[in-house]
Amino acid sequence: MNRRAFLSAGLVGLTLKAERKIEGGFVNEAFILGHHIRDGASFPQPQRQVRTPVVIIGGGIGGLSAAWWLQRNGFRDFALLEMERQPGGNARWGENDITAYPWAAHYVPVPDAGVELVRELFRELGVLDENGRWNERYLCFEPQERLFLHGRWQEDIEPHIGLTAKDREQFRAFEARMAEFRASGDFTIPIARGSKPSDLDRISVSDWLDHNRFDSPYLRWYLDYACRDDYGALARNTSAWAGVHYFASRAPDDKGPLTWPEGNGWIARRLIAKLASYIQTGQAVFRVTRAGSKYRVLTIAADGSAGVEYLADFVIFAAPTFLAHYVIEGAPPATGFVYSPWFTANLRLDRLPRELEGAEPAWDNVDYDSLSLGYVNATHMSVASYREQTVWTWYYSLAEFTPEQARRYLLAHDWAFFERRILDDLERVHPDIRACVSRIDIMRMGHAMVRPSVGFQFGDDRARWLKPLGRVYFANSDLSGISIFEEAQYRGVEAAKAVLQGMGAVHR
Amino acid sequence: MTVALFISVFLIAACGLIYELIAGTLASYLLGDSVFEFSTIIGCYLFAMGAGSFLSKYLVRGLVARFVSIELMVAVVGGFSSSALFLAFAYTQGFRLILYLVVLAVGILVGLEIPLLMRILKDRFQFRDLVARVLTFDYLGALGASILFPVLLVPKLGLVRSAMLFGLMNAGVALWSTWLFQEQIGRIRSLRASCIVVVLALCTGMAYAERISSAADNSLYADDVIFSRNTRYQRIVLTKWKDDLRLFLNSHLQFSSRDEYRYHEALVHPGLASLPGARHVLVLGGGDGLAVREILKYPAVESITLVDLDPEMTRLFSTHPVLSGLNGHSLTQPRVHVINADAFPWLDSNEEMFDFVVVDFPDPTSYALGKLYTTAFYRLLGRHLRRGGLAVVQSTSPLFARQSYWCIADTLKEAGLKTWPYHVYVPSFGEWGFMLAGFEDFKLPQALPSGLRFLSMQNVGEMFVFPNDMLPVAAEPNRLNNQVLVHYYERDWKDIVH
Repeated sequence: MNRRAFLSAGLVGLTLKAERKIEGGFVNEAFILGHHIRDGASFPQPQRQVRTPVVIIGGGIGGLSAAWWLQRNGFRDFALLEMERQPGGNARWGENDITAYPWAAHYVPVPDAGVELVRELFRELGVLDENGRWNERYLCFEPQERLFLHGRWQEDIEPHIGLTAKDREQFRAFEARMAEFRASGDFTIPIARGSKPSDLDRISVSDWLDHNRFDSPYLRWYLDYACRDDYGALARNTSAWAGVHYFASRAPDDKGPLTWPEGNGWIARRLIAKLASYIQTGQAVFRVTRAGSKYRVLTIAADGSAGVEYLADFVIFAAPTFLAHYVIEGAPPATGFVYSPWFTANLRLDRLPRELEGAEPAWDNVDYDSLSLGYVNATHMSVASYREQTVWTWYYSLAEFTPEQARRYLLAHDWAFFERRILDDLERVHPDIRACVSRIDIMRMGHAMVRPSVGFQFGDDRARWLKPLGRVYFANSDLSGISIFEEAQYRGVEAAKAVLQGMGAVHR
Repeated sequence: MTVALFISVFLIAACGLIYELIAGTLASYLLGDSVFEFSTIIGCYLFAMGAGSFLSKYLVRGLVARFVSIELMVAVVGGFSSSALFLAFAYTQGFRLILYLVVLAVGILVGLEIPLLMRILKDRFQFRDLVARVLTFDYLGALGASILFPVLLVPKLGLVRSAMLFGLMNAGVALWSTWLFQEQIGRIRSLRASCIVVVLALCTGMAYAERISSAADNSLYADDVIFSRNTRYQRIVLTKWKDDLRLFLNSHLQFSSRDEYRYHEALVHPGLASLPGARHVLVLGGGDGLAVREILKYPAVESITLVDLDPEMTRLFSTHPVLSGLNGHSLTQPRVHVINADAFPWLDSNEEMFDFVVVDFPDPTSYALGKLYTTAFYRLLGRHLRRGGLAVVQSTSPLFARQSYWCIADTLKEAGLKTWPYHVYVPSFGEWGFMLAGFEDFKLPQALPSGLRFLSMQNVGEMFVFPNDMLPVAAEPNRLNNQVLVHYYERDWKDIVH
């Protein structure tokens, strides 16, 4: 700190808290219609019939990837049905006059050579060039992450401040163990490419840490944070296999991740543009039944009016698998599938808050003492040197509740309650945040991502759904037991491949 | 009643300690040696309190009225102590003398408070109880203050406002006492009136705390400040000493009028004079118009586009009589187009091509500025160079920031450009470095514009020779996703300025 900085800090001090009205509300609320479908409500019968060989249900990354693959392989006779007005699923995004911003998934780790499908897509989108170089505008700019720990910001999320020699030794030992797991080649992406069953799936991350005498509170925090962030679950509710997979499955040669202002919405909007002629939005599928050799797929429009009856030879079910039981005739309940609820908020900042001591603002900003996951700055990937306004996406996985409790919590409170909850959380690290924010939009997701619970990865519950139900193929990332872009894409493409193969057989 | 009395004790004790802490903090910051400053200030303060206690025996009559007046004096002297000290540091040579006078005055007044109060209260309590309770609350107040000070006051309120806030508390105790001891005072109205005057004065002070800050700024620069303004983007300060004008942006020296010709001639001419066909020139940064002044020496150049973030900066250098004189009114010439924009996004959304580009950004002291020195930026820059065109990049000091300098060279190469590094000595900066970059070959100029003060056909070539202590060192290219340059730069300069 130089004299000037000290003087201005000392002299100017705090500006009074302005009592400004913050606007906002809940957005993308489709759960009411969803719950009607679950409860078997009666809907107006479709007035119109469409015959098409293939229907894809669900416009998240799984469904979009299935469509992408069909189109790439010259197959053009299909429809993709999305219940929401905006496709994208967990890769949905928003936009205002400042910037585009993500609603959920906001990055893809740099895919190594094993993740060929993602590289394929990225070559098509200009993210990876013909010389194998990543577009430097999309590799996350420095500084990537910071952590508010012991009253100041440090670079990186892995804690550095206040660690004892023993803590540091445990971090080293942990990293060495992860390097061994990585070298074993048993933790792959996509998981189906070569991950081998393992006893690690029988215990939780916490158990594994206990067995290996990892007791450093900082290391335990770090693992707990990683589980909350990646799986929406506490370490004690996460399979150790999934915990290790996160650290041991990737060996990229470039420093990533790949990210964009609107997060994975950048990918989604490009896929949607390519596939626009196949996509029907605001069409919720409420029933799939057999009709002779075909499937009858019934929809209802998002506004409650009559939808369309599709007659298809093949169905790709890319919506979350637990919905199959409520929609598809004869589908069993998806026992064993646990979904973590989340809520995210996008905050419009009309000015940037004053910074407390330590590292500069980063892309991902985390508070060690908060149960939230911190916030991501949507303008971080701008090349501008100077910005006055921005949008932050604040993430909270409600992992300290059971999923059922968390869903009740989400439904029990109004927007003003969550507004307070979010601002109180941010105020700890940005004391003047209330004077900066002018709008908070909140998205509640009751079933945001599948949870890799103990035993789920290599148990029978998951395996049952990998086979088609007649000619209904399942394609949600939850079939992989973890919810990541690579798995969603893989599942979508696998389903599309199976359908293309099946169609070949039918046509022959 | 009793509770109210002891709250007063608690408050005045807290106030007393706060003034002491403020003086200590200020002195250790402004003068440096914190151990020495804190020790002497605490010593001086305790001694003054002793003196105050001793003097209390000479106050005999009208104790309550005296107590109220003393509170008001503490409120004024203590409340304005930090602003007075900041201004003293800014405008006088006798900061230390004033510091100790203030400490002595506050100490004596605070020393008077407790003995007086005990005497006022002596008929209401048993002596044993009185001493015990007064001292208990005295020490509790001190504890409260010492915790509040670092945790809340300095970070939230700042030193000037903290002192005033506690001045207000002293004044409050004074006002309150006129009610508490109503039956023991005479001229109650005039006392209350003075209390209100003091309260108003302190409130006004709190409202104007920011002005005091800018007034104090003057002292932080060695020379007279002739202009200073906070723009949206930066703090612009101009200083003058005799005929030397200096420009500071966010307290980093940008130029001294005595030797800026060395910098700007070296920046522009080696490259531009080697391109006799150059018609269109772009300047990024350089809102002072000094590089443009040099470019205007080429009659063949048809257009000069200057892109600078800060409109205040370009306005100042277009209209201020002294400053526009310095750049020869370059910014108002018909060939010159001034654009106020953020350089990277501007270049990103622009399709114009240029024969020569001057890249004159501030040093990479932050990640925000570091973006302007990355492979991504230089690739973009390369796409705006005409065939055979050149760019020159201000590249910090190859002597003081050797790895940073060569990192910029490696970054340009990584972006596919050839580089020709050179350097010049600028007395106010020290040894300074530049980098010519382009896709084709560079040859030294065959002729230079006439009337240059530093550059000649003899010395232009010498600038490309590097002595041993500035030769290349290994560095990684600076990319958006590593920003190594910001780290190199911080490390390089840390070794020189502590």
